[in-house]
Parts: sequence; structure tokens; C-alpha cells
Amino acid sequence: MNKSKILLRLTKRNIVVALVLIISICASFSLTHKAFATEVESGVELPQFDTDQPSDTSQASEGSQAEDAGALAAAEEEELEPVQYRSFFGLDSRVVVWIVSELHLMFAAFVLGVPIFAVIVEIVGFKGGDIKYDKMAKEFTKLLSAAFATTASLGGLLAFCLFGLYPEFMSHMTNVFAPTMYVYALMFFGEAFTLYAYYYSWDILKGSASKKWFHISLGVLLNLFGTALMFTTNSWATYMMSPSGIVPTTGRVLSLYDAFYNLLWMPVNIHRLIANVCFGGFIVGAYAAVKFLGSRTEEERAHYDWMGYVGNFIGIGALIPLPFAGYWLGREVYSASPVMGNIMMGGAFSWTFIIQAILIGMLFIGANYYLWLGMGRIKGSERYTKFIKYLVFIIFACFAVWLTPHNLPLSGEERAMIGEQYHPFSKYFGVMAAKNAVVNMIILATFFSFLIYRRSNKGETVPFAEQGKAGKVGIFSALIFCLLMLVSYAVSLNFVDIDANMKPFVKPLIFSLYIQTFAVCVTTFLTFKDKGKLAQMLLFAVTASIAVLYFWYYGFQVMEKANLVLRYLSVTQVSIVMSCLIMNAVIDVFMFRKAKVVGGIVWGKMPVRSQYALILLCVVIVILMGLMGFIRSGLRMDWHIYGVLQDTSQWAYTPTLSFMGRIVGVIVALFLGLVAFVFWLANLGERKAKEKVAEYGYETETEPKGVLAAGCKDVR
Amino acid sequence: MVNKRRTYLMIWVIFAVICLFLFLKYASPKVFQILMAKGHPMPTPSTLMMWYMIMGVLAGLVYATTSNQKFVDFLSFLLPDRGPVIKSLLQKVLFVSFPVLVGWFVYSWSLPGAASPVELRIQHPTLPQNYEKLENPFRHEDAETQRLCIEEGKILFQTYCRPCHGSKADGNGPFANAFRLRPINFQDPGTIATVVDNYLFWRIKEGAPGLPSESTPWDSAMPSWKDDLKDDEIWKIIMGEYDTAGVMPRQREKLE
Repeated sequence: MNKSKILLRLTKRNIVVALVLIISICASFSLTHKAFATEVESGVELPQFDTDQPSDTSQASEGSQAEDAGALAAAEEEELEPVQYRSFFGLDSRVVVWIVSELHLMFAAFVLGVPIFAVIVEIVGFKGGDIKYDKMAKEFTKLLSAAFATTASLGGLLAFCLFGLYPEFMSHMTNVFAPTMYVYALMFFGEAFTLYAYYYSWDILKGSASKKWFHISLGVLLNLFGTALMFTTNSWATYMMSPSGIVPTTGRVLSLYDAFYNLLWMPVNIHRLIANVCFGGFIVGAYAAVKFLGSRTEEERAHYDWMGYVGNFIGIGALIPLPFAGYWLGREVYSASPVMGNIMMGGAFSWTFIIQAILIGMLFIGANYYLWLGMGRIKGSERYTKFIKYLVFIIFACFAVWLTPHNLPLSGEERAMIGEQYHPFSKYFGVMAAKNAVVNMIILATFFSFLIYRRSNKGETVPFAEQGKAGKVGIFSALIFCLLMLVSYAVSLNFVDIDANMKPFVKPLIFSLYIQTFAVCVTTFLTFKDKGKLAQMLLFAVTASIAVLYFWYYGFQVMEKANLVLRYLSVTQVSIVMSCLIMNAVIDVFMFRKAKVVGGIVWGKMPVRSQYALILLCVVIVILMGLMGFIRSGLRMDWHIYGVLQDTSQWAYTPTLSFMGRIVGVIVALFLGLVAFVFWLANLGERKAKEKVAEYGYETETEPKGVLAAGCKDVR
Repeated sequence: MVNKRRTYLMIWVIFAVICLFLFLKYASPKVFQILMAKGHPMPTPSTLMMWYMIMGVLAGLVYATTSNQKFVDFLSFLLPDRGPVIKSLLQKVLFVSFPVLVGWFVYSWSLPGAASPVELRIQHPTLPQNYEKLENPFRHEDAETQRLCIEEGKILFQTYCRPCHGSKADGNGPFANAFRLRPINFQDPGTIATVVDNYLFWRIKEGAPGLPSESTPWDSAMPSWKDDLKDDEIWKIIMGEYDTAGVMPRQREKLE
């Protein structure tokens, strides 16, 4: 009786649901028809028809088939005006494309960044014989599969939006890039196939070294496809900023190669590649933090604490070279067009760069904070915590300089009291010479934080002579690499194509490179003499003196008299800092290789605020990506393709900072919400399996334990 | 000693923040006055003051929470115990001064005043595209012609620009004090040395009326010279101006 009642209710409910569905589908069809038929307001050209054209009803009343045929023929012969713009349900087309493209880009960054991360972690696990690395790599590849479908869906939506809303622009783009679009599609197939092969063959390709290497090769191939995919789309985006290979007036394609390899293509490629790894690392960190906060057992806490550490480590590792790549891109934007360069750093977008400075500062502070908190789980770290207060001071002082704008918001009274255009703080802290100096100092301080973290549980070191061949080869390799980098650049500076009156300004750069070369050699010598710590200190001191203090001062000199030399100054600065990072990292590895372990790392022993720091890092990098996406695209101002195809729509204005903030906020919220949803979906199966284990007390997934370790032993 | 330092961690942090405030409010204006040989102090702008103070407080809090032990030490100062008299005294001072400070902030913010609003001014407004490709025709001439142009430009500069921008192009012309926003000091490497010379051509030719709205054209006294000076004269003035200020225009970069 009860069953029949339930059935009856269900049937009734289903009928109601079916009716509602039918009505809503009909309504949506009718609305869609109306929405797409909506004429776009002023400034947008749509097909125009003669007003004296006979209406449908009048045609029907006349009822003559011959006339109908005539009208049809006339309509067929009539040439439609090309459509420039359409509207999306009456909404702002630009905002629609902005949101969809940014969401697509963020998911794409995740889908491209995480495989790099996963393959590196897999290799580390394989070579080190630690199965937890392998498990983590697999866990993230699982998330990747779910995120990949979302990326593809958003990509499809973006393409439809662009073709639908900006047909003239897309016609131009298709005209220029059609062949590369086919290549893009092929690459997409390649990535999809390798991704699924990589994920689903994980357990099959375990057991022997050769199988594992084959699996890693699949991962590498996946990354190659992904990178090629990104490089292809980058060329379309950068072509819009620095078009080449066409006749600007007619749009006729002269060289697809030049259009593809346009001026900003490579700087954007490098910047995005590094940024994706950084993005992937911090997303992984936030995922681990959320899992850590929800952990019920010590084991889980330990696992997710360790995962968060690895995510943060990779995030910081990629964050360190990111400012260099960003600076290169910025300079090339200026080279491509002084107007775009000017609007970027001094004009309407300059305040977005102050926001960017705050966000980058937060990334560095958050990452360092996490490392300092992490020292609490390492026995023996007490010896190094005394350095933290100096690091806090240095990083915050540098951050203060980093975000000081050249042009300050001032009240009338303040202007009158200062009595001139610039306050000394903004005059000396607000220009690139100061910014470059302090960002290098922040990088050096972050690196120092990492060094004291990694040596926290290390005690007495063994003499360098006992490190064997590996130590000598390692140190010598680093030395040769640094020497090649420094000396080759110093030599090349002698032959730069520059006016004779500016040549003297290059000499101090060459001299600085040689001083650093000498310092690197002395460092190596001291390391061999068992004075590795002194060597590291010396190299830090020399690097900070040259790349931070001296170049801060010299940057002003160059700005004043020979600004073209700034380009060489920044590369010199980067080379000197990089040589310090490389040399000191290698020395540290070999100095502490066989050192006594003071105490182990107690994974899971982390305060809750450290996990919020990881979540903050993720949110900040997502906001940063949204902001920088707006800047890169907005620099074109009222051009679809800069200098070639003008944006004549009603949305061809630069949005205000407030409007930009709201839209970027919406994008960030949507992305984080979608990512959380996708991760939840991906973990549904796992949760079910765990419930079964809890219920029946057996493992549903029979994992061949120790197989990977066995494989690793084979290799060793 | 270590225990004492731990017990008073909160006081150390507060002391550091107060020192920062005193430095920004009172010391730095005097220091800059001496260093820059000015006849008046150089007060720290309110926006920077706010930013630097936020940074200072944040730095203190970050430091105090870098380990659980530090965090406990930091907060434990507020707990009552049978510690030394000085601690008890400092606790009382803190409990009284904190609400007073908050009250003072609320009072000063809500107090009716007549201060002019803080303006967000765009430093280098965007160069219009029709000026982007312009080049100074005299920069390609031989050295002797360029020298003559510079000399002629210097005379034109002294004739038309000196009253505001000064004979040394340092922003100290006889009329400079009459403006609320003083004319720019061109000797400062952060000004004309950072822009290409066609940027100056635009600024001289169009003046304040030609500035885009976000660059507050109403807040600049720069006149438009397009009706008074020929293009050649403007280019020569630019050459003379750079030479007088002792800086070089930004060079167009070659693409790599």
C-alpha cells in the first residue's frame, strides 16, 4: 500500500517536473529568439533592411507564389552589410568576453602548470624511492583530468562568444591565423590523449624502472603538447598587441611566420610558462591546506602538511624568476610601442601596477611566513630563528619601497607644503632603479629564508674532502655555469650597438660582472677549504652590495644620462643575483649532504594559521592573474589589433579602476568556486571508497604496495 | 634576559611601531630638509604615512606570530600575573592608551574640517597616437647644426619657458611660487629624462588643455603653444631644454 502511494506521488511529481521542464524550454527558446534578435544600441553596425520591404503578412495576403519567389530571389541577391558587433542578451559584450576568457585562462594555467609540477614530483619520487611523491603526483593528475574538461568547455564558450560577438575581429584573426588554428586543434587532441594516457596508465606502468620511465615520458610529452598549445594561443594574443606580418591598411597577410612570431610573443611565452608553474604550486598548496584543515587523523595532517610544503616550495621556486621575466616583458611592451609602455607604467594603468606591487609583496611575505612557521616542526631550528627578525625587517622595508608610487596622491595643502612635484620618498623610491633593487633584495632574503629552513635539522657537517667526486663535480659545474653566464655577458657588453657617448655608462656594468665572477671563484675556493658558510656569506654580501645598493644608486645615473643602458643594467643585475642563488644553493646542498641530523621533521605539527597563509597565497595569485590579464589586454586601449583594427563598439573605453576591481573580483570568486567544485567532484569516488573501507573493513582498491619502491631499487 | 625579552614582546612591537611613526612624522621631514637644502621641512604625505604605518604594524604582527611560542609570549603580556611593577604599570598604560587612541582616531576622522581632497593624478598621461611616430628632425643633422639648434633652443627656452621653469630648468622661475602645483624640475632624472622627446613636443604644443581628463587638465597651468610657436621652434626648445637641465631624452629602444 505504502509502495503504491510512493509510486503515485513520484509519478505526479514527475509529471509536474516534466511540465515545468517543457514550459521552461519553450520559454527559453522564445526568449532566446528575442534576445538574439535584439538590436544592439548605438555604435554597432548590424544588417540593415529597407523599410519599404514587404512584411510577412502582406506577402501572405497577396498569396502569389510567383511574387514570393521574386521576393526570395531579391532577398538572396541583396548584400548584407558585414556585422561588426553583436550583443550577448543585451549585456556588455566586452565584459562577457573578459570574464569567459579570464576564467578559461586561469583553468588553462592550472591545466598547464600542474603537469609540470606532477612530472617533477613523480621524477623526484622515482629517483628518491619515496612513494608519497608518486601518490601526490597521481592525486594531482586526477584533479587535472577534471579541470581539463572544464578548460575545454570554457575554451569552446570563449570561441563562440568571440565569433558571435566580435565577428569582424574574428574574421581578421581567422584570415591571418587559420592554419595555426588547425595546428592548435591537433595539439589539443595530443594533450587530451597524453593526459588520459598519463593518468590511466599510472598503475599499469609500475613495477619496473623501464615502465616508470615510459610513464614519465608520457608526462613529458603531455607537457610538450601543453606548452605548444599555450605558445600557439599566445601568438594570437600578442599579435593583437604588436601586429606584424600583414599590410596594416588592408590586413593582407604577408608572412604568417612574422605574424606568429611577433615582437611580444616570446616574452609572453616565457612569462606565462613560469607563472603557470607558480600558479600550479600555490593552488596545490591551497588544496593541501584545505585538506589539512579538514583532516581527522595525524596521518592525514602529516600528509597534507607535507603536500602544502611541496606546493609552496614549487610556488616560491617559480616566483623568484618571475619578476625578471615580467620586467623583460614590460620593456618589450615599451619597445613595441612607447604609447603602450607609457600608459602602462606612467599613465592610466600605473595604479594597477601599485595594486600589482601590493599583491607581489603579499606573495613573498606569505611564502616567507609559511617557511618561518614551518621551522617550528623541525627540531634544531632554534639555532636559526634569530635571523627571522632581520628577515622580517628587510622584507617589509623592501616591500615599503616596492609599493611607493612615483606619483603620490596628495592634498592641495600637502602639495603646497612639499613645494615641488615629488616628495623625496617618491622621488627616490618610486622609480624603476629603486624597484629593481628592492625586488632583488626580497628575492635574496627569501632565498636566505629557504636556506635556514633546509639546514634547520642539520648538525655538524663533514669535511668537504669526504663529499667525494659528487661534491667536486657539483661545485665545479655550478662554478662553470656561473662563469659562463657572467663572463659571456660581460664580454658581450663590450660590443653593444650604442652611441659612443653612452658607452662609458656600460663600463661599470662590465666591472661589476667581473667583481661577481671573482667573488664566485673565491666562494668555490673557500668551499673546498671547508669554509662553506663563510663563502656563502661573502657571496651574499658582494651580491647585495652590487645588485642592490650600487645599482640602486647607479640606476639613477643611467636614467639621467643614458637610459638605453638601463636594459643592460637590469640584465646585469639579474645575472649577478642568479649566480648568487645558484652558487649558494649548490654549496648548501654539498656542504650539508652527509651532515648529522639533529632532529627529524614532524610533519603535521603546524599551526592552523600557516594553512591560512597557503590559502591566502592561492587567492592572491589568482587575483594577480586576473589583474595582469586586464592590464595586458587593456593596454591596447580602443584597438582590437593595435594600430590595425580599431574597436568602434560602444565598449571601446578603458574601464575605471573601480569597475575593473569589481569584474576581477567576480572572476576570482567564480574561478575559486569552480575549482572547489571540480576538486569536490574529483574526490567523490575517493570518498565513496573510504566509506566502503570504513563500512566493510577492506580496501576496495588493491594497490600493489611497495611495487614502486621495488622499481626504484632496480634503478639504484 | 631572554625571558624578559619574551615577556615584553608586545611592548617591543608597540615601541617599534611608535618609533616608526615618530620617524615619519617628525624626523624624516627635518632629515630631508637638511639633505635637500630646503628652507622648509618636507612633511611625509598622509597617504604614504598610512601605508608605511600599516606595513609597520603588519611586520610586527607577522614577527610576533612566526612561532607558537612567540605568539603565546606576545599575548601573555596582557594576562595578569605577579610580575614586576614595571610590567603592571605598562599593562595599565596599555589598557588606558589603546581605547584613548581609538577614540582619538574616531574623533579626528569625524571632526568637521576643510581639507582639500586627495587627488589621484596621472603622472605621465598617455601620449596620443598621432604623436607617437614623430621624430625630432634636427636629431639627424650633423653635429654643428645640432649645436646651433641647441643654442637657438636655449634662447627660445629662456624667452618662453624661463618665467615658470627657471633659467636652469629646475622649476624655480620667477613665477613658480605663484602656482599651487609648482612647475616641474627638469633636472630631476624622474621627469623629462624618462620620456621620449616627442612626448615633450605634445606637452608643449597642446599644454594643459590637451591633457586627458584623468590627468586633471584643470590642475596644470601649462599653456598651449601651438598658436604661438612653430613646430621647428618647439623641437629646438626641447633640445635646448634637455641641454639646460643636463639630462638626456629617453631613447627609442631597438626591438630584440
